[in-house]
Amino acid sequence: MNYPVWNFPILGGSLVVAIIAIIHVLISHLAIGGGAFLAIAEIWSNKISDGEKVRKWLHKFTTFFLVYTTVFGAITGVGIWFSIQLASPEATSLLIHQFVFAWATEWVTFIGELTVLYLYYYGWNSNSRGMQVFLAVAYFVIAWFSLFIINGILTFMLTPGAWTLDNKEIAWGFFNPGYTPSLLIRTLIMFLLAGLAGIMIATFIKDDDEFKSKMIRFSAKWVIPAAVLVPVLTVWYWLTLPESTLKFYEAGIVGVAGGKMEGITRFFWLAVISGALVVLGTSIAAWKPKTVHFSTAISLLLIAQVGFMGAEFFREMARKPYVIKGVLYSNALWAHKAEDKAYMNEPYLSHAKWAPKVQPMTLEHGEWMFRLQCATCHTLDGYRSLTPRTENWTPSFGVRFLENLHEQGVMPPFQGTLQDRAALTSYFMHLHGNDTSPGAVLDTYEKEEKAKAEAMNASMKEAQK
Amino acid sequence: MDKNQIQIPADAEAALPAADTKMGKFYRALLKRYPIWPVIQFFMGKKVPEHKHSAWYMLGGIALFFFVIQIITGILLMIYYKPGQPWQSVNRIVMEVPFGALIRSMHHWSANLMILTLFLHMFSTLFMKAYRPPREGTWITGFILLTLVMLFGFSGYLLPWDDLAFFAVRIGVSEMEKLPILGPFAADLARGGSDVSMETIGRFYALHVVVLPLLVLALIGIHLLFVQIQGVSEPDTFAALPEEKKKYRRFFSDFMIGEIPVWLFMFGLLIALSAAMPRELAPEANPMGAAPEGIKPEWYLLAPYQALKLFPGHFELIGMALMGLAPLVVIALPFLDKEVPTGKRGELITKMAIGGLIGFLGMTIWGLLS
Repeated sequence: MNYPVWNFPILGGSLVVAIIAIIHVLISHLAIGGGAFLAIAEIWSNKISDGEKVRKWLHKFTTFFLVYTTVFGAITGVGIWFSIQLASPEATSLLIHQFVFAWATEWVTFIGELTVLYLYYYGWNSNSRGMQVFLAVAYFVIAWFSLFIINGILTFMLTPGAWTLDNKEIAWGFFNPGYTPSLLIRTLIMFLLAGLAGIMIATFIKDDDEFKSKMIRFSAKWVIPAAVLVPVLTVWYWLTLPESTLKFYEAGIVGVAGGKMEGITRFFWLAVISGALVVLGTSIAAWKPKTVHFSTAISLLLIAQVGFMGAEFFREMARKPYVIKGVLYSNALWAHKAEDKAYMNEPYLSHAKWAPKVQPMTLEHGEWMFRLQCATCHTLDGYRSLTPRTENWTPSFGVRFLENLHEQGVMPPFQGTLQDRAALTSYFMHLHGNDTSPGAVLDTYEKEEKAKAEAMNASMKEAQK
Repeated sequence: MDKNQIQIPADAEAALPAADTKMGKFYRALLKRYPIWPVIQFFMGKKVPEHKHSAWYMLGGIALFFFVIQIITGILLMIYYKPGQPWQSVNRIVMEVPFGALIRSMHHWSANLMILTLFLHMFSTLFMKAYRPPREGTWITGFILLTLVMLFGFSGYLLPWDDLAFFAVRIGVSEMEKLPILGPFAADLARGGSDVSMETIGRFYALHVVVLPLLVLALIGIHLLFVQIQGVSEPDTFAALPEEKKKYRRFFSDFMIGEIPVWLFMFGLLIALSAAMPRELAPEANPMGAAPEGIKPEWYLLAPYQALKLFPGHFELIGMALMGLAPLVVIALPFLDKEVPTGKRGELITKMAIGGLIGFLGMTIWGLLS
C-alpha cells in the first residue's frame, strides 16, 4: 500500500475509469481507421471522374474527424491517465516502469499523428494530390503504430504470458498470448468504425441522392473485413484466455446474484450481439442508401459504442480478482506477497503509508479497512455496492467470510489480522444501523469459535467412547 | 386464362417495377391472384414530412418495437413462469434457466423504455400540435394506450411475488381504495380479497398476459389505421411552406427502412442495460413482514404519487379529484385547441403543456430524491 486510495462515491473509481475508457476506445479506434479511410478515399478519388466531388465530401469528413479525434480523443485519453493513477496507482506504476520506452514511443506517435493530420487538413488547397495521399498514408501508419504499442500493454494485463516479476522480460510481456488476435480484431474494428463515420458524414449530402448513395456504399464496404474475420479471430482470442475467465463465463450463464463474476457473460454477449447488429444495420444502409438519414447513421455508431462497452467490460472483468493477471490483485496486493503468511497476518494499516493513525478496534479503523481494501472496486451504495451485500452479516459470519474471501475465486485475499476483520465487519454492520463495536464482534466470534471447538471435542470424546 | 385471374389495373401496371425484374414478376403474380392493389395504394400513400424535427416521428415506431420485444420476451418468460409458484418459478428463471436472467432483465428494461418512449411520443405530439382536429381519434387512442401500458407495468410488477412487488402493489391498490364510492369495490376486485394475496396473482396474471395484450394490440391497430388514413401531421411551419418546397419521404418503405438501424440500436441498448443493471429478485414476499424501507412506485407512477403528498389528511380526496381531472384535460385537448395555424389560445395551451411537463418532471425527480 504505497499510495492513498481514491474513494469515489456512487460510481466508484473503477467505473469512472471504465466510463472514460469506453468513450475513448471508440474515438481512438476511429482515429486510426479513419486514417486508412482518408488514404483509400484519396486514392480512389484520383481515379474516378467525379473525384472532385468525393474530395469535397472528404473535406467535410476530415473536419469532423479532426475535431472529434483530436479534441475528444485527447481529453478522454488524458482522462484515462488521471483516473487510472488515482484508481489503481500500484498497477499504473508497474505499467509505467515496465513499459517506459513503449509509453515514450506511443507519445511520440501521438505527436506525429497530430502533426501529420494538421498538415493534411490545412494543406487541403495548397498541397499536391500526391502529397495529400502521402500524408494520409503516413497518418494511418503512425496512428496504427500507436495501436501496435498500446495493444501490447493492454493485453499484458490479462495475459502476461511468460513475463513474471522475477524475469521481467519485456518482450514476453509485450508480445503475450493475447497480443496478435487482439491487434487484428482492433485493426478490423477500426476500419468498421471509419465506415460508420463515413455513412454519418454522407447523410449531410443534400439534394444529390445518387452521390449520397455512392458514398454510403463506399463507406459500408469498410464493415466487411470485420464482419467476416472478427468472428474467427474472436475464437482465437478466446483460446488465449485464462482458465479462470472461462469459469466466470460459464458461471454467468445463469443467475444475477452477487458473489460471482456473472456480469462477464452478459457483457460478452453484449459485444457479440452488438457486432451482429452493426453488420445487419450497415447491410440495410448499403441495400437502401437513400433511406439513410442522420438518426440511422448515429444509431449505427451508438451500437458500436455499446458493443465496445460489452467488449471492454468483458476484458476488464476477465482478469479479476487481479488487475494484472497473476501478478497484482485489484486491491493493490502483490500476488507473491499474498503467499507470505507472516506478511498477510500483520496489522493491515501498518502497511498503509497514507492512512492516518487510527485507534485500533474503532469504527474509524473499520472505515479505513474499507477504504483501502474494498474501495478500489466497491462503493457503499452505488456501483458494486457493499451496503446491500452485507445486509445479513452477523459478527461471526463477517469475520469468517473475510478470512475465506479469496476462496470463491472472484475476490482477492483479505490482508490483516483478526482485529482488522472484526473492525471491518463492525463497520459493515454499522451501515445497517447495527452499532455492534469491533470489540463486541470479536468477542462474539471468539465465543462461537470456542463453543464450536468444545462441541467438536465433546463429540470426538463421544466417538472415542 | 383462368376466369378467376384478375386484370392488373393500369395505374398499378405503371407504378410497379419493370415486368422482367424479380420484384416486378412477384407483384404481377400477386395482383393477378388477389385484388389487393387498393390496399397497396392505401399503404403507399403514407408520407412523412421532412423537416428538422422529423426524427420525432420515429418515436411511435420505437415504442412499437419495444412492444414487440415485450411480446417475445414475455412469451419466453411464460414458458417457465407458474402463477401457482410465482416467486419460486421466477427464481428458477433467474438462477437455473440459461440466460433466463438476461431475458427477464430485457423484459424489465424494455417495459421501462417503452413507457419512456411513449411519454416522449406524447409530448412531441403535444408540442408539434398534432392532436388538433381531425386527429382527435389518434390522440385519444394514443392516450388510452399509454394508460393501458402503465397498467401493464403495474400488473406485471406483482408477478415475481417478491417483497418489493408485493408492498408496492399493496400501497398502489390501497391508494385506489380511498376513492369514494367505487374505490373499495374496485380495490377488492383487483386484489380478490381485502389484501394483496396469491389470489391477486391470478387476476394480475390474466390481465397481464391475455386481457391487456388483446386490448393493446387492437388499439394499436386502430391508432395506426387512423394515422394511415389521415396521414402524418405537419407542423404549422411546414404546412405554411409553398408546395414546391415541401419534401416528403414515403413511410413504406423509405422512412421505415431508415428507422430499422434505430431499432437495432434500441435492441443493443436493452442488452447493455440488462448487462450492466440486471433486474434482481428480492426475497419472497412475506405479507406478515414489514415493508422494505423507502418503497415507492415505479418512476412512471411517481409524479401522481408524489403530488398526492401535497394534499395531506382530509385534503387527499381533493388531490385525487385534481389528479383525476388531469387525464380528462389531456383527452379534451383536441376539443379545446382547434386553431390551425396556432392562434392565441393555441399558444396558451402550449405554455400550459410546458408547465405540465415541468410539473411532471419536477414531481418525478422530487419523488426519486425523497
